[in-house]
Amino acid sequence: MLMLNEERVILMTRMASYEEDEGKTNVSIGSYFRGDYIGLQLIKSIISATLAFVLMVVLVVTYDIGSFMQDIYKLDLIQIGRTLLIAYLAVVGVYTLISYLVYSHRYNMAKKSLKCYYANLKQLSTLYEEK
Amino acid sequence: MTNLLVLKEHLRSFYSKNEVYLIPLIKFLVALISLLLINGKLGYMPQLNHIMVVLILALMCSFLPTNMIIVVSALVTLLHLYKLSIECAAVAGILFLLLFLLYFRFSPRDTMVVILTPICFFLQIPYVIPLTMGLIGTPASAVSVGSGVIVYYLLEHIGAGTNTLNSTEADGTSQKFRYVIDGVISNKAMLVTIAAFAVTILLVYIVRRMSVDHSWRIAIIAGSITNVIVLLVGDLIFDTKISILATVIGTIASAAIAMVIQFFMFNLDYSRTETVQFEDDEYYYYVKAVPKITVSTPEKKVKKINPQRTEAAREARMSQNRTRQNRDY
Repeated sequence: MLMLNEERVILMTRMASYEEDEGKTNVSIGSYFRGDYIGLQLIKSIISATLAFVLMVVLVVTYDIGSFMQDIYKLDLIQIGRTLLIAYLAVVGVYTLISYLVYSHRYNMAKKSLKCYYANLKQLSTLYEEK
Repeated sequence: MTNLLVLKEHLRSFYSKNEVYLIPLIKFLVALISLLLINGKLGYMPQLNHIMVVLILALMCSFLPTNMIIVVSALVTLLHLYKLSIECAAVAGILFLLLFLLYFRFSPRDTMVVILTPICFFLQIPYVIPLTMGLIGTPASAVSVGSGVIVYYLLEHIGAGTNTLNSTEADGTSQKFRYVIDGVISNKAMLVTIAAFAVTILLVYIVRRMSVDHSWRIAIIAGSITNVIVLLVGDLIFDTKISILATVIGTIASAAIAMVIQFFMFNLDYSRTETVQFEDDEYYYYVKAVPKITVSTPEKKVKKINPQRTEAAREARMSQNRTRQNRDY
């Protein structure tokens, strides 16, 4: 007849509560390699920055729709395209840089927080081996 | 003070015992207040103004994740605005989307601030938000608080311009757009408020992390003073027509509230009862972990009013009397 090992249960409870609460995101971040995690987040950032840029352009155009429609034949489309491209690159560039900083910091923090968790995991496996 | 500390301990134990019920209750109340305020301020769609609809939505929010409160509030706001004019709804929708895309992807935990800031504005105590966020947040909270201020001023601007928006004819789409966007971009009072709140949050954050005694209280006081000064200087430069008296009174009230919050939050771990499940090769475990709580009731001290006179004391007194008599002679 197997008996419950009290020490083991306490350790597992602590870990399970960490996993459920603050560790939830950390564990999922920790399952990535650094480059993979940051790369994935940067792709998401570029997509949302692009969407945001489109929305801003829509807002600017509708704000000035009257004069825009009047001058539509006189507009220098190449010049506008160039300005838009530069603005787009600037918005996406700045936003991506910020998200790179944020997510690399977040990854380091998660790894640090997970160190204790992994140590517990190791201790748990030794407890099981002792049995 | 002792009574207050005991009250704090009691509250803590009450919270950790009834956390399961308290959190949905708080969510319900926040959702209810925000929906009622939205309906009171905008309320263009009669179907949404019905109290049953509000109650059902608030109940729904009480058991959904916290961020659903903000989604529901945003949707209700957009529906009201849609009824008023589609242009307003479009501008507000784009603004909400921009906030979500650019900022709240980073810090989904801060989203509640966006809803609490307008609520505090309506309750006339907006300054409690920067003070509290400086205490419990990070400098990045300045962005969330700023978003909350923008949302408040947008709603305020649309609410104030209902007649303009209604009277402009159907072909005035571009005019309506301009009216709404101008109200957001060229609102000096809004910009000054955002700047004041950002400076306050930064200052409170920096001061409360200093290793001096009472740093939290110093932070609240310094933050309040900075807040008033920046608002008044902004008023002088940009002529924002901020009421000085209201600002000062509001700031004092907010500082008092922040003090109360600080008292209950400072150095206190509202640790909670946890129920977790896991398994190993032999068992399934369903564990309920209850934190040990010690409610320290004040110790009764017995103070002796008539202490028994000891022999030594009596002798000392007698010798004192003797010297006095000698002096008199």
